Amino acid sequence: MKDSISKPIPRVDAPAKISGEAKYIGDIRFKNQLFAKTVRSSRAKAGIVSIVKPELPEGYFIVDKDDIPGINRMRTVVSDQPIFAEEEVNYIGQPILLVVGPEREMIYDIISKIKIKYRDETPIFNLDEAEEKGAVFTEYSYSKGKPEAAFQDGLKIIEDEYHTGLQEHVYLEPQGMAAEYRDNTMFIYGSMQCPFYAEGALKDVLGWGSDRIRVIQSITGGAFGGKEEFPSLTACQVAVASLKTGHPVMMIYDRDEDIICTTKRHPSIVCYKAGLDRKNQVIALAIDIKFDAGAYSGISPVVLQRGMFSATGVYNFPHLSVRGRNFMTNNVPSGAYRGFGAPQTIFSMEMLMHNLAIKLGIDPLDYKIRHLLERGEPTCTGGKIWDEVKLPEIIEKVTAMSDYRRKIQSNGKYKGVGVALFLHGCGFTGNGEQLIKGKIILKKNGGTVILKVSSVEMGQGAETCLRKIVAHTLLLPMEKVTCETIDTGLIPDSGPTVASRTTMIVGGLLRQASLELKDRWNESDNIEVSRVYRHPDYLRWDNDTFHGDAYPTYSWGANVAEVEIDPITCEIDVKKVSAVYDVGTPIDETTLTGQMQGGIVQGIGWATVEVMNPSKGKLKQHNLTDYKIPTSMDIPEIACEFIENPYEFGPFGAKCAGELPFVGAAPAIAAAVSNALSVPIKNIPITPEYLMELDKHED
Amino acid sequence: MVEGFRPADLREALEFRSQHPSIPIAGGTDLMVQKARGFALKPDFDKPLLFIGHLPDLQQIIVENRQVHIGAGVLLSDLIKSDKIPAVFKEAISLMASPPSRNIATIGGNICNASPAGDTLPYLYAVDAILVLKSSQAERKIPVGVFITNPGKTDLASDEILTEIIIPDKKFGVSYYRKVGTRKGMSLSKASFTGLADIENSNVTDIRIAFGSVAPTIVRSRKIEASIIRKPVSEIKTAVPEIVKKYAPLIRPIDDARSSAAYRKKVSLRLLEDFLRNLAS
Amino acid sequence: MKIEFVLNEKKQVIQVDPVSRLLDILREDFELTSVKEGCGEGECGACVVLMDGKAVNSCLIPAGNIEGRHILTLEGFCKTERYKIIEESFLKAGSVQCGFCTPGIVMSTESLLRENPQPNDNEIRDALSGNLCRCTGYNMIFEGIKLAAERGKGLW
Repeated sequence: MKDSISKPIPRVDAPAKISGEAKYIGDIRFKNQLFAKTVRSSRAKAGIVSIVKPELPEGYFIVDKDDIPGINRMRTVVSDQPIFAEEEVNYIGQPILLVVGPEREMIYDIISKIKIKYRDETPIFNLDEAEEKGAVFTEYSYSKGKPEAAFQDGLKIIEDEYHTGLQEHVYLEPQGMAAEYRDNTMFIYGSMQCPFYAEGALKDVLGWGSDRIRVIQSITGGAFGGKEEFPSLTACQVAVASLKTGHPVMMIYDRDEDIICTTKRHPSIVCYKAGLDRKNQVIALAIDIKFDAGAYSGISPVVLQRGMFSATGVYNFPHLSVRGRNFMTNNVPSGAYRGFGAPQTIFSMEMLMHNLAIKLGIDPLDYKIRHLLERGEPTCTGGKIWDEVKLPEIIEKVTAMSDYRRKIQSNGKYKGVGVALFLHGCGFTGNGEQLIKGKIILKKNGGTVILKVSSVEMGQGAETCLRKIVAHTLLLPMEKVTCETIDTGLIPDSGPTVASRTTMIVGGLLRQASLELKDRWNESDNIEVSRVYRHPDYLRWDNDTFHGDAYPTYSWGANVAEVEIDPITCEIDVKKVSAVYDVGTPIDETTLTGQMQGGIVQGIGWATVEVMNPSKGKLKQHNLTDYKIPTSMDIPEIACEFIENPYEFGPFGAKCAGELPFVGAAPAIAAAVSNALSVPIKNIPITPEYLMELDKHED
Repeated sequence: MVEGFRPADLREALEFRSQHPSIPIAGGTDLMVQKARGFALKPDFDKPLLFIGHLPDLQQIIVENRQVHIGAGVLLSDLIKSDKIPAVFKEAISLMASPPSRNIATIGGNICNASPAGDTLPYLYAVDAILVLKSSQAERKIPVGVFITNPGKTDLASDEILTEIIIPDKKFGVSYYRKVGTRKGMSLSKASFTGLADIENSNVTDIRIAFGSVAPTIVRSRKIEASIIRKPVSEIKTAVPEIVKKYAPLIRPIDDARSSAAYRKKVSLRLLEDFLRNLAS
Repeated sequence: MKIEFVLNEKKQVIQVDPVSRLLDILREDFELTSVKEGCGEGECGACVVLMDGKAVNSCLIPAGNIEGRHILTLEGFCKTERYKIIEESFLKAGSVQCGFCTPGIVMSTESLLRENPQPNDNEIRDALSGNLCRCTGYNMIFEGIKLAAERGKGLW
């Protein structure tokens, strides 16, 4: 008799991490290695008039745009950012050149002597300015039903607007990358989520084929999207430096540098026009989404798409129009961050529903329940909810765990309770999975099995879960199933480690391959089985009209947050978060709970203490003293439970999980604060400063 | 290479100090950050360091003549543990930084850093702490409020070392401390409020009020305090708005990365109000 | 400056710039890379080691301040019985994700349990307040520490 797949096992990567033996990129030394440090733009928008470089001591180099053998652009969704600035700079912190050499002290000394002359131009600092100037990178729209006609039809119209702020990932390990050019091949080592993204970028920049490029992931100390596309930039920079100098080149960011120049969560403004019928049901909704993409478009179009396709949350509105725009500003480029655009639009949606309910005198949860999506109904993009929706069960459980119904009635002032309902689309957006066609290989070698995938362990537990799926299927002990080194020369491209796709998509392929291997186990000692992703054939998607099934399936959740507000200082004390999730089948309950706990706390940070304001393109909070993430003293009790709802195409029924918990925390807290103070909350982070302005109780 | 000198005792330290321009350094938790340069790099000091954190003369906490003499090198974590330190002062210290920093940071360092957000300062201002400054030639004692002149600036002479902090060995009947931080753990003060009072026979016999992080240095007004002393507590309640109004012009905070001037001012005055109302009830 | 100190139970004499950070001495000169640099300003706790038995931020300590001190890093601590208890408890409780904060957290745990073998929830929270973790949300680390205190009764 075998245990359930959900039964926890010890994480395979944990022992080396606990003992400190795990080597991150900054812990590794190459023979004759040089260090690199980046010289960056101090201007938000300017032409570069001249760069005066000092005479370099022997063994020191400057590496810049002229050293790039191929194309000076970083390959991603929109390949618009130069690896090194050319004639212009568009944000403070943009890389201009590297100083490379054997001693860090001397590198700093050389940098202090480099003089860059700029010709300042007029920058754009925020969404309002960008909209006024028409500085739009991308604009999309889609609709469902007949929104225009519906709005003409005597509905009660309510308009509203919501704002969310910048958020920095604060993976504990700062960005780090090393390049070693040897044997006619470029070897790249570093902290990253997507080795094949880096490989693609290197192909463009070096002008070489993948046969001369090896990208090898080092142990990665947290990522959360911050090591999705950004490492492609540093990989290309150190590669060019290694090529020029003939030495291995190591570049590790210090924290300030990391905060100043790496991608962030997109700040957003979401505007609504809601049309309510006589029963106060929202039957028509127009949503206008604005994201600040920063100075380069990069990966932002896809972030915007996910934001747009998640914009109605867990609700069904018969008539809908959604417009989304990415604006260009001279802020640091925004990029991937856990949830990928969806947390912004779902926060806004949840608060719209909450605030509408309050305005109408209806309990917010009851009002939300009246609009819930059900199985068989159309998604916002006109696809179909194919699988069972267990939201009613989820809601019942979370309200029971938190005693929500009683507390919403009985809480006095300064004590609040709030609920958020949410979903997350599993895997890549739209036709992403069909385009990338993730591939995996399983190789039997005597009594052991090697699994070859490009999904990386970055703290989320991928290695444990993927090996567990294979071991469990083949009835092998965990130690007989190992992962091939994440090295693009040794593994197939099973796609990037993003979009909560690892367990469901890559794990699904591994499950299928394991079943085949199980059938053929006695054929020989050396068997190789591979699988390439195939989209379930009932799914439809038109990428030109954004019509159809934007995601193969969804994971669902509900959070109840309880807060107390200090009547004097307006500080928020989050007392408890109760959470219930449907992620199909949990692959490992402990690992999964870790994702949920961590995701909720990141969400709490985004909603409360994580304040990041650029002032004229320069971040006011650029170190961990000023940019605050929750500490052990700041977090509430978190109760977390799962509802099983196996998904046919997921391994053992598993769906997506890693991003989902981030989505729900902020709106639950905002709803609880709103409940505590009887004020509508429309912006996050909800700072005491913001609440003090709202709370006019005695002034 | 920046030189450093590690004296065996205070006399040697003062000798070095009188002969060389130098930066006295104890725990280093502020200085090492202020002078930090980046990943895997030494901080950049422009003068030789004089290490004083280890000096035995600076490690003691002694109670005599109804005064507590605290060595400038006493660690924040040791202050929290000491039964000679008033509870309200310990509360303020226990909310500073985190254990791995409190295990190296010293009280003398926090004073000499002279930050308006230095969390040992409001209490020290409130109790009129006296600082002992020694040089190889002389010793002088000055109130903390005279020692600190501006943000980051003190009256420490180039041949002097802060050796001791003297506070009264006294427990106030009422003590109130609130730190409004950027978060709960490891937070920096956006504003802080210290209120101490003695009440005898329903009259206020002593009151001390100090505000942190809301002006270039800690805010305390003896004049306003004097106007409260000797009032019956029953009168305080009605006088609250008037007292708050008197303090308002003294609270002159700034906007920065951590908070806004408007919030800091409002929250400081609300804390004052809360303290005064509690006094009356 | 010549500095004598004890590192992981072994006496060391080094010639070093007195402003060098203990963090860099440990990582660069002794290759003790369990000690991590996460911020360089005493905020994250990834560089926490024990000095005379107490958790300290090694990024804030100049070489001049380690004379005569006992420094313990995870490389030294991991050979002990108490470490084994912490390791198995962290494994069981799911206290580890990306692992970059973990060495500092293990050292803070040891520092806490040395002083207070049966800490309550608030004491655990306070002891960890100088160790940032972005992955776990902390609760599962608290569980690991409670489990270690329970399983290691009598060891601290």
